[in-house]
Amino acid sequence: MAVIELKDVEKIYGKGDAQVEALKDINFEADKSELVLIMGPSGAGKSTFLTIAGSLQKPTSGQVIINREDISKFSDKKRNSLRLNEIGFILQAYNLVPYLTVHDQFVLVDKVKKEDNLSKEDLDKLLEDLGITKLVKKYPNELSGGQQQRVAIARALYANPAILLADEPTASLDTQNVEEVGKLFKKLAKEREKAILIVTHDPRLEKYADHIYEMMDGKMSQKK
Amino acid sequence: MFLALKEIKHEKLRYGLIILMIFLISYLIFMLSSLAVGLASENTQAIDSWSAKKIVLNKNSNISLSQSILTKKDLKDDDIGKNEAYIGQVAVVVKSKNRPSVSAQFLGIKKDQFIYKDQVLVAGKRGKGKTEITVDSSLRDKGYRLGDKISLNGSARKYKIVGFVNNAKINIAPIIYGSFATWRKLRMVAPNVAAAAIVSKNANYKYNYKDAKTYPIATFINKLPGYTAQNMTFGLMIGFLFVISLIIIAVFLYILTMQKMHNLAVMRAQGIPSKTLVGATVSQSIILVVVGVIIALILMWVTAAVLPAAVPMSFTTTIMIAGTLGMLVMGIIGSLIPIRSILKVDPAKAIGE
Ligand SMILES: Nc1ncnc2c1ncn2[C@@H]1O[C@H](COP(=O)(O)OP(=O)(O)OP(=O)(O)O)[C@@H](O)[C@H]1O
Ligand SMILES: [Mg+2]
Repeated sequence: MAVIELKDVEKIYGKGDAQVEALKDINFEADKSELVLIMGPSGAGKSTFLTIAGSLQKPTSGQVIINREDISKFSDKKRNSLRLNEIGFILQAYNLVPYLTVHDQFVLVDKVKKEDNLSKEDLDKLLEDLGITKLVKKYPNELSGGQQQRVAIARALYANPAILLADEPTASLDTQNVEEVGKLFKKLAKEREKAILIVTHDPRLEKYADHIYEMMDGKMSQKK
Repeated sequence: MFLALKEIKHEKLRYGLIILMIFLISYLIFMLSSLAVGLASENTQAIDSWSAKKIVLNKNSNISLSQSILTKKDLKDDDIGKNEAYIGQVAVVVKSKNRPSVSAQFLGIKKDQFIYKDQVLVAGKRGKGKTEITVDSSLRDKGYRLGDKISLNGSARKYKIVGFVNNAKINIAPIIYGSFATWRKLRMVAPNVAAAAIVSKNANYKYNYKDAKTYPIATFINKLPGYTAQNMTFGLMIGFLFVISLIIIAVFLYILTMQKMHNLAVMRAQGIPSKTLVGATVSQSIILVVVGVIIALILMWVTAAVLPAAVPMSFTTTIMIAGTLGMLVMGIIGSLIPIRSILKVDPAKAIGE
């Protein structure tokens, strides 16, 4: 059973002559415990795909089904709470609140989402797995790029979402770190039963993926 | 509140500077308001202490006590009860050996009328006869003492201070209460003159005859030399200070919001409700104002303690409360401008930029 499914999705930016068809007739699905890569050249529509799958914006036409519910007609408020509860984002940069310590990043989630977050033990274990237990008192600007990335992963997992969406998560990492993050994502997908969608240019991640999609001029085709 | 406090804690310098500005402005607002109220009350203290509601003046006096003369004919039919009193006023310079000269207002009053009877003495007794006078207690601060013999406008005759009275100021000058006979002499009036004015505590009092005309006391106060102009000037300055604080708060929060636009988009993408983000900005604004105002109030308290009594400032609770509320309102209005931008944040901007 698919956790996330896109049916005949189209996205058109702008109007008239300035019109850009960023997504054309996209059909896509991902199941829990699956790690899916979305690859393709710049301007192909990868980020647009991610914003629509993550309910950050609405498609021009078509359906986005998350947990068996069609969210393409949801109000802003409902989409907001869907993101809070079911979707974790791991973004390239600035994805941590700069004036909160690592610990407070999790407290913020507790403030707005009272239930179903990771327990204290689960969080400690996750921090351990990510190797960031010692960093909880630090501010983001006191961390390296790789450390920030791992904190962002913990932050995204903390609300216990069904789906993880990542945009270029390895852009600022060296090869060794890329391998580590690849393994970590694979492990999260299998052990925590998440559906993980990763937009990337990075061929080094290919070996960890269950499925690979290629995007080109707004169209999507399955490679693996 | 959580986000608001954490951000202030992390950005101490930025927020410290804005608190400094709010503190300086509120201090200035408190000082100016106290000065305005202090000066206004020195204009009207005596009138307030009499609880005067109406005043009868010569209708050609331009509602000015010093220009008003009422003749015996004008007052032929007047009705003087326990709520009415004659007054005769003249500007004088008080002089005494080894004491500084003081510009004052001499008020001739009658012993059987309420102003004489109602004097609030802080020392001594009420004056009797032609040469005994009671004076405003501010003269005591200037070194005058009971029993001092003084001259008025360089008069040969000496008058003796037998009492000090509280709240006896009119038009920022201390009052010397004395006899009508002394007033006649100092003012050099013709024998047919009866008084300068009649003051009444009765709001319905009315006596219009020949040149005598009754005015509400508020009309009289607003015509006191400089009174209205002074109040308007202060009002304008205080108003401007409120507007300036509004602009500072609004601009500051707006710039901060603009700087963290991407960050706000990320938080919205993560599903943090916009009401949490709006709440953070509003509570920041309130925290900044409250901290700034509290520091200003503490400094006011210190100022009030060290300021010499001669400075005409009245530090009233009303001013402090009104000023604080005014600043809070400015803070809340000021935070509305960044709120608009926060509500318009597009969470999709969090990705792909
Ligand atoms: N907000 C927008 N308004 C108008 N056009 C847009 C907008 N966002 C993206 N586009 C256009 O849609 C197309 C797809 O953009 P998108 O950002 O999804 O590409 P991408 O595959 O993520 O590229 P990159 O690898 O460079 O990040 C591009 O032609 C882009 O110019
Ligand atoms: Mg992109």
